[in-house]
Amino acid sequence: MNFDMDLFSQALLQRAPGHIAEHLQLVIIPLVLAILIAMPAGILLTRPAYRHHGRRVMSVFNAGQTIPPLAVIALFFPLLGLGYGPAILALTIYALLPIARNTVAAISAVPAEVKDAARGMGMTPKEILFRVELPLSVPTIMSGVKTAAILTVSTAVLAALVGGKGMGAIIFAGINFFRFELVLAGTIYIGLMAIVLERALSLLEGLLTPAHLKNRHGAHRRAA
Amino acid sequence: MIHFDQVSKTFAASQRPAVDRITLHVKQGNICVFVGPSGCGKTTILRMINRLVTPDGGTITIDGRSIMQMDPPALRRTIGYVIQQVGLLPHRTIAQNIALVPELLKWPRDKTEKRVLELIEMMGLDPSEVGHKYPHQLSGGQAQRVGVARALAADPPIMLMDEPFAAVDPIVRLRLQDEFLRLQQTVQKTICFVTHDINEAIKLGDYLVVLKEGRLVQTGTPIEILTQPEDDFVLSLLGDDRGVKILDLTRAETLMEPFENRLGPIKSNGHRVQSIDPVKIALEMMMQKNTDEILVCKGTRPVGILRWPAIKTHVNRISGGTV
Ligand SMILES: Nc1ncnc2c1ncn2[C@@H]1O[C@H](COP(=O)(O)OP(=O)(O)OP(=O)(O)O)[C@@H](O)[C@H]1O
Ligand SMILES: [Mg+2]
Repeated sequence: MNFDMDLFSQALLQRAPGHIAEHLQLVIIPLVLAILIAMPAGILLTRPAYRHHGRRVMSVFNAGQTIPPLAVIALFFPLLGLGYGPAILALTIYALLPIARNTVAAISAVPAEVKDAARGMGMTPKEILFRVELPLSVPTIMSGVKTAAILTVSTAVLAALVGGKGMGAIIFAGINFFRFELVLAGTIYIGLMAIVLERALSLLEGLLTPAHLKNRHGAHRRAA
Repeated sequence: MIHFDQVSKTFAASQRPAVDRITLHVKQGNICVFVGPSGCGKTTILRMINRLVTPDGGTITIDGRSIMQMDPPALRRTIGYVIQQVGLLPHRTIAQNIALVPELLKWPRDKTEKRVLELIEMMGLDPSEVGHKYPHQLSGGQAQRVGVARALAADPPIMLMDEPFAAVDPIVRLRLQDEFLRLQQTVQKTICFVTHDINEAIKLGDYLVVLKEGRLVQTGTPIEILTQPEDDFVLSLLGDDRGVKILDLTRAETLMEPFENRLGPIKSNGHRVQSIDPVKIALEMMMQKNTDEILVCKGTRPVGILRWPAIKTHVNRISGGTV
C-alpha cells in the first residue's frame, strides 16, 4: 500500500477539520447529559432511603461497562433506527456508567466519623451533602468524568456507522476505500481532542478540588 | 436539667441492650462523668441526648421538654459535642472547623472570627500558626483540642464530651484537665463527660455514673463512690489505690486533731499544710520530711495537728483493712 502524501495532507488540513465541530457535539452533548443524569442518580444511591439498592445498581453499571461500545450502538439500532439522535442517546448511556460509579464510590468513601461529626454539629442532610460530601468527592467524581469524556471521544467515532456523522465519517470512509491516509488523519484529531479535553477537565478539577487535597507536599513544607 | 427516665436502646444487630433502663438526672452547671469499661454504653448514652441515637424505650428531657419534640439539627446546634473520633472536616481549615456551628447559626462574620481566635488561644494553641492549617497537619492531641474548641464555639449551655483527652500524653492530659476545671468555673456549663479512666472521672466529676453492660451500677459524688462502693465491680474499677484516691479527696481538717480539744502547749516541727488541702499532700510531706505529724493551719493560724496513725486508721476503716 502506497502512502499518498497529498491525499493525507488534504484530509488532515481540509476534510477532517470540518468534522471537529460535529464530533465535539457528539462528545459534549452526551457528556453533559450523562453528568446531569448520573451525578444525581449516584447521589441518590448514597442516600439512606436508597442505599440498599446501591450494590445491585452498581453491579448493573459495572456489567454495563464491560459491553463494547459498538454493541451498545448495535443494541439500540433496532429500537431507535439511524441518525444523530440515536447516536447521542447511545453515547449518553455509555458515559453514564463511569460517572455514576465514581459518584457513588466517592461519596461512600467520605469517612463515617466526618459525616457523624457534621451531623452532631447540627448540619442538615442537605448541608452535609453540599458542604461536606460533595466537596470531598470532587477528585473521584472528576476522574469519572474524565474517563467518560475520553471514552466518548473514541466511541463517538462509531456514530458515523449509524449516520451520526462526526470524525467517524472520515475514518470509516478511509476504511471502506482502503485509504489509510483518511484513517490516520481522523485518528490524529481523535487523539488531539482526547488530550485537549482531558487537560480542560483537569483544569476544572483543579478549580473544584478542596485546598487540603492540592499540593499536599507544599502544604506540609509550609507547616514544617 | 437533663433527665433520663427508663431509657433503653438495643441496636438492630445485637440481642443484648446497649443501654438498659437508665434513669438519672444531670444537674444544671454540673459535670456528670460516665465511667465504665469499653462497650458499656457510654457513647450511646451521650448520643441519645443530641438524638444521634434514638432510644427505643423511655424518655429524655432537657429543662422539662422531651427532646423528641425538638428538631434534631436545631437541638444539636445548642449542644456542644466532642466526638470520640474527633471528626474534623478535612477540607476546612482549623479556623473554619471551629467556625462551623456559628456559621450554621448565621452569626455575623466578625463575631465568629473573634470567637475563633479566642477559642484557639483558650486551647493553648497559637492562632497565627494553627488557624490556617488543615486537620491532617495537626497532631492527635492538637486535633482533639480543636474538637473541644469546635464544640464550645457557639457557647452552648450543654456539652457532651466523649473521651476528649484520650489522645494526649499523660502530662498534657493533666494540664488539659486542670484547664478544663478552671474553664468550667467561669462558664458553668452542664457537661456530660465520658471516660474509661477512673482517675479522670474522680478528678473532674461532680457526679459519677458507673456503668456496666448498659446498666447503671452506681451513681454518686466521687467521695460517695470511693467510700461506699456498691459491689465488687465498682471496687475493682476504683483500683487497688482506692485508699490513696480517698486521701486525695479528703481535707486535712477532717482527720486532724483540733487544738480546742488539746491541753498543753503547741509543739511543731515546722511542717504545715492548709486545712482545705487534701490529706494526700500532708502524707507526701510526711514521707519527704520523714516525720509523722504535720501542723494544719487556716491561713497562718494553726488549727490542729494531723498524725500518721489517724490517716492509717481512716484508710483501714474505709478500705476494709486491705490497704
Ligand atoms: N451503631 C451501632 N450499631 C450496632 N451496635 C452498636 C452501635 N453503636 C454501639 N453499638 C454497640 O453497643 C454497645 C455499647 O457501645 P458504646 O459505643 O456506647 O460503648 P462505649 O462505652 O462508648 O465504649 P468505648 O469505651 O469503647 O468507647 C457495644 O456493644 C457496641 O458494640
Ligand atoms: Mg465510646
